[in-house]
Amino acid sequence: MGVVSSPFGGQTKTRTLLAIRLLGASYARELSRVLDIPLAPVQRALRGLELDGLVGGQIVGRTRLFKLNPSYFAKRELATYLAKLADADPELQRAVVQLRRRPRRTGKPR
Amino acid sequence: MTITRRATLREVALAVGKALHRHGVKAVLTGGACASIHSGGAYTSRDLDFVVTHLTTQQKLDAALGDIGFGRTGDRYVHPDTQFWVEFPRGPLAVGGDDKIRPITLRDKAGRASTLSATDSCRDRLAAFYHWNDRQSLEVAVQIARRQKVNLRKIRQWSEQEEHLDQFEEFRRRILERG
Repeated sequence: MGVVSSPFGGQTKTRTLLAIRLLGASYARELSRVLDIPLAPVQRALRGLELDGLVGGQIVGRTRLFKLNPSYFAKRELATYLAKLADADPELQRAVVQLRRRPRRTGKPR
Repeated sequence: MTITRRATLREVALAVGKALHRHGVKAVLTGGACASIHSGGAYTSRDLDFVVTHLTTQQKLDAALGDIGFGRTGDRYVHPDTQFWVEFPRGPLAVGGDDKIRPITLRDKAGRASTLSATDSCRDRLAAFYHWNDRQSLEVAVQIARRQKVNLRKIRQWSEQEEHLDQFEEFRRRILERG
């Protein structure tokens, strides 16, 4: 795990938030893979972040997709702060870069 | 007021507001319940979201709500005689990026409660439309604007700050359409 400070109440909560900031939107299982931590703590972190109004979750199909809460009163300041914090977490940046998210045509072999 | 099975959302909200006031808790009704009141019931909500605007304690909230028969289950207060429940989502009181909100007070024989104004309740619903593409919230905002006097200039200005002027225009067009 990186050496980033934990201003959002613990490393898992802070890094979950940072990962969402870098990915734009994500879901618990993907975040668990990116952060390389078990699913349950990520789900707990997401619940806490949601209660604080920092992230919002939307059901897409069978997945709950989380993004920074666009209705949060300090959303711009939060996004800027998180971007700065993410700069200091190269390990997380590397993990995010390895994630393929661009579209893949249906039927194309992996 | 005694909360009964027949109590309306507005009556329950005002009874809760009165109980909170009696215990010195400052809280503002927001969200769907507030929109339901301003839209004259065009939208129904069962959860009453009160945002606490001054420091308080869980014990005070428990005592205030307990006085009128609500008991706490986790973060939610439920009552055996009503389908409505009460929650206290974390603040601050804000609508999108605007945290300079001036609540209004609703009063009648059921009690009194601080709530968002019709204009702010409209903005609150529009925030869900703008940011989450929730068209049900757009409809509720339209109903509020048709039934209440709202400050469209203020809503437009805020929409611009939220970078959703296009959606504001859709909202404005919908108000003028025949309901």
